[in-house]
Amino acid sequence: MRFWRGRTRALVSTAASLAALLLLAAACGGGATTGTAPASEATSEASEGGAAGQISPDATLTVAVGVDPDSLDPVQQTTTTVSNIVDSAVETLVTVDQDGKLTPLLAESWDVSPDGLTVTFHLRSGVSFQDGEPFDAQAVKKNFERLLDPNVKVPQRAPFTVIQSVEAPDDSTVVLHLSHTSPALVSALTATTAGILAPDSWTQHGNSYENIVFPVGTGPFAFKEYVKGDHVSFDRYDGYWGEKPYYAHLTFKIVPEAATRETMLLAGQADVIILPPISDLAALEQNPQVKVLVAPSDRTIFIALNTQSPKLKDPRVRQALNYAVDKDSIIKNVLFGAATKLDAPSAPSLFGYCPVSDPYDYDPAKAKELLSEAGVSNLSLKFIAPTGRYVQDFQAAQAIAGNLAAIGVDANPETMDWPTYIATITRPLAQNDLDMHFLGWAPSYLDASQQMVQFEKSQWPPNGLATSFYTNPDVEALVAQADQEVDQQKRADLYCQAMQKIWDDAPWIFLWTQNFPIVYSASVTNVGYLPIEKFVVLHARPAK
Amino acid sequence: MKGFTSYLVARLGTSLVTLFGVAVAVFLLVRLLPGDPARVIAGLLATPDEVERIRHQLGFDRPETVQFAIFLGHLAVGDLGVSARTSEPVARELASRLPYTIELALAATVVGSLAGILAGVASATRRRTFWDYVLSLGSLGGISMPVYWSGVLLMIVFAVDLRWFPAAGASQPTSIVLPGVTLAFFSMAFVTRMTRASMLDVLRQDFVRTAYAKGLDGRRVVFRHALQNAFIPIVTVIGLQFGNLLGGAVLTETVFAWPGLGQLLVQSIEARDYPMVQGIILVYATMVIVVNFAVDMLYAYIDPRVRYT
Repeated sequence: MRFWRGRTRALVSTAASLAALLLLAAACGGGATTGTAPASEATSEASEGGAAGQISPDATLTVAVGVDPDSLDPVQQTTTTVSNIVDSAVETLVTVDQDGKLTPLLAESWDVSPDGLTVTFHLRSGVSFQDGEPFDAQAVKKNFERLLDPNVKVPQRAPFTVIQSVEAPDDSTVVLHLSHTSPALVSALTATTAGILAPDSWTQHGNSYENIVFPVGTGPFAFKEYVKGDHVSFDRYDGYWGEKPYYAHLTFKIVPEAATRETMLLAGQADVIILPPISDLAALEQNPQVKVLVAPSDRTIFIALNTQSPKLKDPRVRQALNYAVDKDSIIKNVLFGAATKLDAPSAPSLFGYCPVSDPYDYDPAKAKELLSEAGVSNLSLKFIAPTGRYVQDFQAAQAIAGNLAAIGVDANPETMDWPTYIATITRPLAQNDLDMHFLGWAPSYLDASQQMVQFEKSQWPPNGLATSFYTNPDVEALVAQADQEVDQQKRADLYCQAMQKIWDDAPWIFLWTQNFPIVYSASVTNVGYLPIEKFVVLHARPAK
Repeated sequence: MKGFTSYLVARLGTSLVTLFGVAVAVFLLVRLLPGDPARVIAGLLATPDEVERIRHQLGFDRPETVQFAIFLGHLAVGDLGVSARTSEPVARELASRLPYTIELALAATVVGSLAGILAGVASATRRRTFWDYVLSLGSLGGISMPVYWSGVLLMIVFAVDLRWFPAAGASQPTSIVLPGVTLAFFSMAFVTRMTRASMLDVLRQDFVRTAYAKGLDGRRVVFRHALQNAFIPIVTVIGLQFGNLLGGAVLTETVFAWPGLGQLLVQSIEARDYPMVQGIILVYATMVIVVNFAVDMLYAYIDPRVRYT
């Protein structure tokens, strides 16, 4: 209108042109990204040297993770990401290496008595906690006693309850007396749950015996602060017994959105991120500014079949479902390659794993044949899958439903939020109307005993998470024998036999192990992983 | 002034009744959600004994009526209980998060309202011209663009490409810019549309024609005479919008890793952390009540004819 003129008009048109520019810039965003290099950081860090053994006076390494810790208390936390953060400051007696093999950490060695009832740890000497307290057998004893104390909330206490008493005959020896043999106990002690804290710190820094909020351990980084919803930060511990980290500070940024983590890495606000949007993996691999590490993990992804459902009681039907699913194609097209097809009912990194003879290769004709042999037609199954809990979970479930439709099985997946989902799948058999559900299982430590709980009647809901209600007396006998067998070679053989039987019985549609993508700036090197969905950045340093 | 005091007392009374209603509703609603907090907190690997022990420690093994009585009793003395997820007092956690949410909501309200009013005035005064259509289209876009899309778009342009502002987090003073603008888009759209409608109404009235007839400058007529008379519905929509904005803030905070209440709400619902969800919803309800009260107070300032009795 006529009275609208002058500067305001100019302003409005400028704003509009800016908006248009913004859209344009966004449209070519991808191309521009590769053009701009984070030159400042790359050069300044490279000039500091960065060879192994060197340390920086003030450099910070920033890692963006998706989970806001519920607790930094080693015994209370239950999330891999949280234990990964706690691991910066708190060490365990024993740990695993990149291949999942047991490796000494705070214990230099250990031995198990011939009857399997006593485990003796020989501790590393010259180690002190970040508050100056010496690390010794008494400290270990106090920590294990806290781990077993029913007054403390310890969700993952189960593998340790076999410890009847802890003895500290001298400063560098700890003896565990067990109520029965437990060949997997040493492996269990690699979990962050069994991390060793400085006992004197339990009553300092706002801590209480029941609830640790400020963990003090022996690790290469000392805890500094936790700002809820924002970050957890650590400072290098200069009295660390092992190789000292390059970075003076280590910060974990809490960024729940995968796309935001990726953006932060590209914007130079984070040096390392985990779990980027899976559909962007290929683009990230092409980007010279970042490096992608797709780590194998111990998380098996499967569809649990309700083996007690009248429709699925016949093993031939369950085998048919296994043959019907085109795992290779789904991994390639739905999971963008971020998975490895299962060839046993456990991940390869587990002690006791052995590949089976017939891996259920995609064969819809054979599937149909098995169904008609079993006298089954017009099979309609109730199927649920979570959304966003595992890599491309619901999308994969839909693809699988497509495969099943091709052999005449109707199984359209439904989804629900995670707490509802767990409540639904853990209903006792009598109230459970599901035929199949999509699930992931990551054992708490790399031992087949932790995988076999999926296949034991004693673990049927509500007692455990053996949600396929599978039972086979032969398997249970083999597993019971293996769980007690002190000879590790015999133990491995027993699990191997059990795995082959489980595979043939097909209580699951065996799918894949999910890979764990870690993406980091090309200006950083020495970023690694453990095959338990953990990243290793403690000795990261600038790339030359 | 006496009338005003009794108005205030009545207003406070209804606010308390509203809050009580919200407390009852949220207490029931979180418990109606399927899912077991003890199981979620204990994790998939916990044994039934541990899950049961945790349920007992959290007090969720008691009858709902007892839980409700305890909740109200504590609420009456201002105690919001202890978080099931973190074992820390809910009030302490809320206190550390609230400033971030207020900062974000204020920034978005101020930016969104100013931009919205300017765009609305521009639209109304150039009705059915090119610019009117552009601005209407823009505000329609603002309403339609989900923040997890517009937010990521802003991040790509201003954090990754231009590197003007941090992409996410709250570690630097400029961290507020991108989440603030993202959320402002959302409220700006509503304010633009309301301003346009309200201005069109006022511009048709006789006193505007009189003002022009007196020979007043066009800008003065629009901003002093017309806009001031168009203000009451605009301020109302800004106030009403505030509730929506808090809802939008839940997503914005999650997208931008902004450590406010919204992000905590998402986490707490996912963990079925009943005490925390109750606390956050009560804080949100209080904020909406306070803002609506402030808006009512503003009416008298804008229009001297408004009286509180």
